[in-house]
Amino acid sequence: MGLTELRTRAEALVPTEDDFTSRLRSPAVAARVGVWLGTCFGICFITGLISHEAYVTHPFIAFPTRPVDLYRVTQGLHVFSGTAAIPLLLVKLWAVFPKLLAKPPKTLPHLLVEALERSSIAVLVAASIFQLASGLFNAAQWYPWHFHFRATHYAMAWIAIGSLVVHIAVKLPIIRDVLGADIESGVHDRPSMAGRPPISRRNLVRGALTASGIAVLTQAGSTVPFLRKVSVFSPRSGNGVGGLPVNRTARGAGVIPTALSPDYRLTLSYGSTQKTFSRTDLEQLRQRTHDLPIACVEGWSKSGTWTGVRLRDLLDLVGAPRGKDVKVTSLQTRGAFGVTMLPSQFADDPLTLLALGLNGETLPLDHGYPARLIAPDRPGVLQTKWITKLEVVA
Amino acid sequence: MTAIRGFLIALGVGIALWGLHVLLGLGRDNLIATLTWLVGGVFLHDGVLAPATIVVFFAITRVVRGPLPLPVIIGGLVLGTVTLLASPTILRLGRIKDNSSLVDRNYTVGWLVFAGLTLLIVTAATLLGHRRSKGGARGASTGRR
Repeated sequence: MGLTELRTRAEALVPTEDDFTSRLRSPAVAARVGVWLGTCFGICFITGLISHEAYVTHPFIAFPTRPVDLYRVTQGLHVFSGTAAIPLLLVKLWAVFPKLLAKPPKTLPHLLVEALERSSIAVLVAASIFQLASGLFNAAQWYPWHFHFRATHYAMAWIAIGSLVVHIAVKLPIIRDVLGADIESGVHDRPSMAGRPPISRRNLVRGALTASGIAVLTQAGSTVPFLRKVSVFSPRSGNGVGGLPVNRTARGAGVIPTALSPDYRLTLSYGSTQKTFSRTDLEQLRQRTHDLPIACVEGWSKSGTWTGVRLRDLLDLVGAPRGKDVKVTSLQTRGAFGVTMLPSQFADDPLTLLALGLNGETLPLDHGYPARLIAPDRPGVLQTKWITKLEVVA
Repeated sequence: MTAIRGFLIALGVGIALWGLHVLLGLGRDNLIATLTWLVGGVFLHDGVLAPATIVVFFAITRVVRGPLPLPVIIGGLVLGTVTLLASPTILRLGRIKDNSSLVDRNYTVGWLVFAGLTLLIVTAATLLGHRRSKGGARGASTGRR
């Protein structure tokens, strides 16, 4: 067998764009699903930036303390739109799959243009799959990777959105044509699309949107109270010790001996002024009760009724003026966020508590006993548990 | 139109380059781990999931004579995509021994209920569709696709 014949035979084994005859795998379907997918990506990007701002001590715009549920809503939306995007992305990639097998043009200038376009699509597809898969795994609290999730997810978000903008610009004439025509019309169809599909294009798009909506419903109970029973695949039912779920347990944080020790003391300092408190000392101070949510980056949240000392009252005891950030140190010996910075607007907020109780009971060990921070509109991981030191930054 | 497209391409490249700058700032090890996942994700989709979908659909059309009814295809799409995205939770991959509040549902029962409900709706919609098309066939040959 000659080399040419071998090559011809090998080429015959690999399908080409024209081997796909279904009228469903069309620009008309891809553009319409793409509009919904792009909307989901847009919501994900904006709410993701909001979450990033919430984690930074001194962001571009100071993160607000009201409404108290703002982060709960934006992060819920972030995870919902990411979840909704997965069926849409799968259908979109299915619709354009033949393009992957299109034969490259033969002239050099066309080949170069095609190579550039394909490179931008490769970046978009890779970034999209990466963002949705890593976000999905994070929501399920499964971390099978060696990259820093939050920082990498943030960096890749810019790459995904940037390559999406390039993709829209490149495809704009086709998008305009197919969206301007009836979905079942043959505008920009390949000549090989001769097969009669089992369903119409319109119904395929409706099916993708249905799958997308149902996917959200099956997960949203992690944060939407009335969906808790319906959402059979939500990673959290909303239950847990003290009526609230937990991300990091006392055992996981390695705090059990120190948190339960009778020698536990909270140290509060501002400049040279320093005071120490036992848990009993804290209980003697004026107690206040507020309803505030724990809202985590994974998209789950639940409200609790917290009782404790208003943080601002404590800061007054060491003469700390308003407008100062507070460095918060936990007893935890394992895991990230053992030391966090509480921006001044949260430290001064009348709702921010050094919580000693939850839902009418003593604060459970897994929720931060002997004392934890609970502030309005903060990501859960920054609501530091097992607090041992509060330092007002001078 | 050309000017708008040119502006959007420049804007998109700028945004993506900013992301690349942030990514490179996270260090070499982080970059290698990220690239592995970027390439792995595309391979799993283009090399495994997409061909598998073609094979499965081809096998179904060999077994089932005639076009598949609309509810069956939509039901398959819903069940397939929702199961795929729920799989890390269903398999409880993120479970931690001492944290009972995490992945704390009976996901096997949840999936069976979900699949059963989908099957029920698909069956009812298919039967209804058949009855309608039979009724319609007396007047005109219309079928819902």
